[in-house]
Amino acid sequence: MSNFKKNAMKKYIYQLIILSGVALAAGSCSKSRLNPVSSTDIPSNFVFLTKDRIAHQVNGLYAQLKVGNLLGGRGVIYNDVRGDNFINMTGNGVTALLIWNFSVTGSDAEINNTWNAAYNTINQCNLFLEGMTAGGDTVVKDAALVAQYHGEAKFVRALAYFSLLQLYAQPYSKDNGASPGLPLRLTGLTANGHNDLPRSSVAEVYTQILSDLNDAEAGVPDDYGDANMNVTHAHKNAVVALKERVYLHKGDWDNVITEANKIVPATAPFKAPSGVANALAADLKDVFTKYTTPESVLSMPWTGANEQPGTQNQLAYYYLPDLGNGEYSLNDDGIISDAGWKSTDARRAFVDTDGDGVSWLRKYPGGDPYVDWVPVIRYADVLLMLAEARARKTNSVDAQAVELLNAVRHRSDPTTTFAPASATELINDILHERDIEFLGEGLRGPDITRLLQTFPAKGSAGAIDPSNPAYIFPAPTSETQYNHSW
Amino acid sequence: MRKLLTLLAVLVLSSVLAFAQTKLITGRVTDQQGQPVPFSTIRVKGTKKGVSADADGSYSIRANSGETLIVSGAGIEVKEATVGVGSTLDFVITRRNSSLAEVVVVGYGVQRKSDVTGNIATVKGASIADNPVQSFDAALGGKAAGVQITSANGVVNNPPVFRIRGTNSISLSSYPLIVIDGVPTFTGDVSMSEAASNPLASINPADIESLDVLKDAAATAIYGSRAANGVVIITTKHGKRGKTKVTYDGWVGQTKAFRLWKMLDADQYMMIKNEGVANKTGATAKFLPTNGPDGKEINTNWKDYVYHTGISHSHSLNVSGGNEATTYYIAAGYTRQEGIVVTNTFERKNFRFNLDHKVSKIFSIGVNAGYSNELNKAATSTGSLPGQAYSTGGLGRIALILPPNIGPFNNDGSYNVNGAAIGPMNNVKPGISYYNPVVLIDNNHSSTENNHIQGNAYLQLKPIPDITLRTVYGVDNLNSDNDFYLTPLNGDGYPGGEAINTFLKYKRWIWTSTAQYDHIFADRHTVGFLVGTEQQNTTQIGFGLDRTNVNDAYYTNAQGGWTDNVSATVNNNTNGINTQNYLVSGFGRLNYDFDKKYFVSGSFRRDGYSAFAPGRKYGNFWSASVAYDIAKEGFWANSGIGKIVNTLRLRGSYGTVGNISGIADFASYPFHATKLYDGSTGLYFSQAGNKSLTWETSKKTDVGLQFSLWNDLVTGDVAWYKNSIDGLIINIPQAGSTGIPSLTIPMNVGSMYNRGWEITLGARPVSGKDFRWNTSFNITLNKNMVTALAPTVPSITYTTSSLEQTSITLPGYSIGTIYVLPTAGVDPATGRRIFVNANGDKLGYNFDVKKYYDLKTGAVAKSIDPVKDKRPMFNAIPKYYGGWENTFHYGAFDLGILATYEGGFYVYNGTQASIRDNRFWNSSVDVLRRWTHAGQVTDIPRIVYGDNVSNGSANPISENVQKGDFVKIRNASIGYTLPTKLLSKAGISNARVYVSGQNLVIITKYKGPDPEVSTNGNDTQGQGVDRNSVANGRTLTIGLNIGF
Repeated sequence: MSNFKKNAMKKYIYQLIILSGVALAAGSCSKSRLNPVSSTDIPSNFVFLTKDRIAHQVNGLYAQLKVGNLLGGRGVIYNDVRGDNFINMTGNGVTALLIWNFSVTGSDAEINNTWNAAYNTINQCNLFLEGMTAGGDTVVKDAALVAQYHGEAKFVRALAYFSLLQLYAQPYSKDNGASPGLPLRLTGLTANGHNDLPRSSVAEVYTQILSDLNDAEAGVPDDYGDANMNVTHAHKNAVVALKERVYLHKGDWDNVITEANKIVPATAPFKAPSGVANALAADLKDVFTKYTTPESVLSMPWTGANEQPGTQNQLAYYYLPDLGNGEYSLNDDGIISDAGWKSTDARRAFVDTDGDGVSWLRKYPGGDPYVDWVPVIRYADVLLMLAEARARKTNSVDAQAVELLNAVRHRSDPTTTFAPASATELINDILHERDIEFLGEGLRGPDITRLLQTFPAKGSAGAIDPSNPAYIFPAPTSETQYNHSW
Repeated sequence: MRKLLTLLAVLVLSSVLAFAQTKLITGRVTDQQGQPVPFSTIRVKGTKKGVSADADGSYSIRANSGETLIVSGAGIEVKEATVGVGSTLDFVITRRNSSLAEVVVVGYGVQRKSDVTGNIATVKGASIADNPVQSFDAALGGKAAGVQITSANGVVNNPPVFRIRGTNSISLSSYPLIVIDGVPTFTGDVSMSEAASNPLASINPADIESLDVLKDAAATAIYGSRAANGVVIITTKHGKRGKTKVTYDGWVGQTKAFRLWKMLDADQYMMIKNEGVANKTGATAKFLPTNGPDGKEINTNWKDYVYHTGISHSHSLNVSGGNEATTYYIAAGYTRQEGIVVTNTFERKNFRFNLDHKVSKIFSIGVNAGYSNELNKAATSTGSLPGQAYSTGGLGRIALILPPNIGPFNNDGSYNVNGAAIGPMNNVKPGISYYNPVVLIDNNHSSTENNHIQGNAYLQLKPIPDITLRTVYGVDNLNSDNDFYLTPLNGDGYPGGEAINTFLKYKRWIWTSTAQYDHIFADRHTVGFLVGTEQQNTTQIGFGLDRTNVNDAYYTNAQGGWTDNVSATVNNNTNGINTQNYLVSGFGRLNYDFDKKYFVSGSFRRDGYSAFAPGRKYGNFWSASVAYDIAKEGFWANSGIGKIVNTLRLRGSYGTVGNISGIADFASYPFHATKLYDGSTGLYFSQAGNKSLTWETSKKTDVGLQFSLWNDLVTGDVAWYKNSIDGLIINIPQAGSTGIPSLTIPMNVGSMYNRGWEITLGARPVSGKDFRWNTSFNITLNKNMVTALAPTVPSITYTTSSLEQTSITLPGYSIGTIYVLPTAGVDPATGRRIFVNANGDKLGYNFDVKKYYDLKTGAVAKSIDPVKDKRPMFNAIPKYYGGWENTFHYGAFDLGILATYEGGFYVYNGTQASIRDNRFWNSSVDVLRRWTHAGQVTDIPRIVYGDNVSNGSANPISENVQKGDFVKIRNASIGYTLPTKLLSKAGISNARVYVSGQNLVIITKYKGPDPEVSTNGNDTQGQGVDRNSVANGRTLTIGLNIGF
């Protein structure tokens, strides 16, 4: 070959080698890039491997219960606006208007979001319990802590089911719990194929709730040793208080009394004899500003910034015209017109009448970023529930009942003392006291339905009696469309 | 992959060693204008040796001195020349017929149009360059069969709905793969502000050479797992050899809203509302007039505050040219465009640099680089982008429904406000919860600023004439800065104000290496073989700052003094996003043709994608196609019919491709996430995932016929296609009680098809010296049918903007069928809206007592239940669509008209529900027809204050669904080319002045402003919904094209 050809060939070969090399390098793929690990989400197989992560999962269960659509916000608001103490001011379909005037349908976002939030919580609890049994218990090792975690998970599950019953199912008293209740989900779900589950009866759901609470009572500690934990996590007295409420809704006065007696002494001063020293706070305002008084048996905390209820979920947003959006004012024909509720009563400070004569609930100080803790159970409720159960069971002017009623009234109004002449009057006084004491705390609606009373008319919304299908929330379409055993 | 390349290297080396005793002749084939002639065939006369020239006209062949070389090819006259002493031989040929020699861009290469066996439609960049649009996709409507472009609303730079051959996915995106200079680019709305931002706007339409739309399996299978929705390849301009050319294109224009709803004035409003109050038991609202500063009753036309005449202008300058070795194209552009909504603007500065250089006879390099800076602004929500339909501050709705008897200012000049809402003035208890738009327009601001770099660099080697080795490294880096300020005075920012800054970084690199072998055997067998590998890595990072409660109203951005800070939410993640995905592939293509009459092709691609779980990451995609050029047969050319039909080509293809567009990067995996509980960490189950997840597959069949008659006087292309899609990822809805996170599990279960015809006809009815008329008509008839979802999922409902369930997808219907309660007008006896329940019973609704009455018996009936009584009633996907383009030349004048049309579909006119609502909302003049006395026959029910059921707000009703069929004069332009004698004195080689209009005329029965609308953007399941959106405006421009 000539030199020219030799050089040309060399040139070609060099260029070819370079290019082939480049191409071959390009052709090699990166195995690590093909199997990436997310940096912003925690793979689920990590969460039962360390004690810390297991403890965090328990916090997570409460956090799911606390979401703005459930006990941290709307779950409480819905229970109140169904009642007769609030008038809708804005006519806005996304802030419970249709729930307030009982025209909400099953396809409404509010009906679905609250249902879904509660069942999300329940599934988290189920997965947690199964994961603990499968290996988490061994990682935690400490038997007391294991029992505590199991107990807390069952408590949260029971509270979620109970919250659902209060809105979506017929009251127990209607037919001793024979009405269709809720699908009872007790196994954790992570895959497709489990949509269909028929409803258990209301009675069966109550049975499951009480079974969970009994287990919880045995497992949770007496005292967490920390003021915040004693309000945000379930301790023994909290479980007992919830049991008391559950029995009250069943109309089982005997068991209400049995439970209450564990945390309420026979006579004043009324203070829990064991466990956390729950008692009435001297100034009720402290309960809504200091959050961790012994009066709060269980509350849902909000701390601002990265822990907020979310837009249009905050209680103060609904109730305050200046620091909120003034969605609901107080009904002049509701409890605020009660003659027996004196103007000197400390609780009147929560009723703020403006220049136009419109009254607003100022119980939650509110204002962005809305750090108002949402009460779930207060000691005052524990006392009044016991009082009511005693009055109904003995059908008499029960002395302890009267004493309990007066204890609650005297905390805010020392000048009024109840001396009812009959059992009926005593019961009415107790119910009135509940209406005054728990204004805006999500108890008015359940107090009406558990006794099969009629929702009184208010503003432009008519009265709704127990036979009206709107008495309870409609079945959410997120369920009925996909659960074919409904 | 490695093995294939090694084999190729060995092959090449052995051919290098087998040189015979001839010399290497190289040269270029150009036409009489000096333009390169691509892909001509050069043969050595009397031998079986032949090569194909490349796209640039360059060839190299071994021959002896004294031998003759023959150049031939489609559309050129045959030329011969003898090899002399030197080793260079150039040819200058005469073109016979330009269209067939055209080059079409296919995946990873270019081919002569007459060799392509797949279905590809080409749109020349010149045909869209002067359109007053923000991004090139908005100008594609009506230009290519199979392509459907819907401009969703009048917000500037919102991504239009882009579909090729129907909607091809349910849960993933149906948006085609857009490849710009070899780099698949980001698509969709990337903005996190109130403005819209389409990343395709980074390419100045004036810089585009051609857009090639790949539709069938033969054309798209080489893109494998991303090809199911079609592929659009954008090629930017490259320089041409010769004198340096400078071009300036500019236009200025205005845009106005038109066909707006006619609303009640103040007196009519008060009369109607007070009538409604009188008809409602217990209603205490009163609607009373307020006197303005001039002493007269306030009568506000709110549209005047929201809409204006938008002024826009655009300037593009480019310089291109080159010599034997180097060609370049350098361009710069600036445009600022205003929309019909006040404060909504788009501003772009862009720069492009494309360079190709031949280092030696066998080695060349090049770079394509584009940089663009875009600023998209909108002070406050237009209520028109996906998710915004029910924004309390959405300007589209506010312009219509605010009471006309109140104004934005009090008499003392201060803003009329009441907390976060507008003040009611003298109205009593109207419950107005909507904002004062003037406060928001004056004080809020939001914008998305993009800095976008797109480009590639390549090395190419042709070691021997038949082999081309090429490696390309490309990048697409988009940095997007979002700014958002909400005033504390009114609206969503009340009372503390809010400022959000979000930064998003989209980064992609792609590395492709290919080897192409082309050879002509025995003068008759042409073989082309391509093999290649590719890796693509994409990273997305997004984070931001969300500040609330301003310390002093002086601060209007996130860097001022604020009380509270949280991390901004990005793509629904409160912590921001930081994610990546990776795609690795090997592919190949084989083309064979015999005598340029019989063509066979096949392609194959294997993709591995990171989002799928181990064991499901890889997939194989392939296609096979054939074509037969009957008109090239001897018997045809000699027959009588051959004189009339000069091209007749039959074509068929079949293959399987995939779709992964829009799937989350970690969709297959189960995750936990964290949230706080009283400041402590809480861990919760956040994603169930699915380890079996993989791509959707689409089996595409295409059969076509191309013909031309009377020497290309008439040309046509008829194709029948079917896309059978299965393994559709369906987010299987879980019943609420399962508690599964997001209540869905994604599974590959669904199936759907799109089937139809595409017909394109072109003609040159008149082509005289003084007068020419070209026409081109295309129509696509498409049938979309969902055939299966999942055994446990009979239907999937779709909720517009998380609030109104407007559409449903179920087997036996087209995707996203409009899902409403059937209504049957108004009962003349009572004025009640008539609902029809699932049994077919007609029920009249009385809002006063919230009960339904059976029309036959008068008794109270079971209430209408949306779950039981709603029905999938109306098809939202057009059954046919297309365009008709006519261009006329008379002397120096030219006239072009493009009409587009869509038909066979309905639109849910949700805005009509808004403007017939009986709360404080203003109504359209339709309500003046309302029922007032027994026996009156009308379509508007009795007005009862507060009634939001009879008008269709509580649940969508069939009364508000209207036929959407339309014909639009989408573009019309008149131009005048100035005489060259005049221009040459100024050194200008050509100049044209023109006037054009866009969206000029709409012929339709639809009652809303524009039936071309999509409140749900590109969402596959929510097409055909018009809810409170701002409609497209009408644009007029005047422009100038100058060449130096």
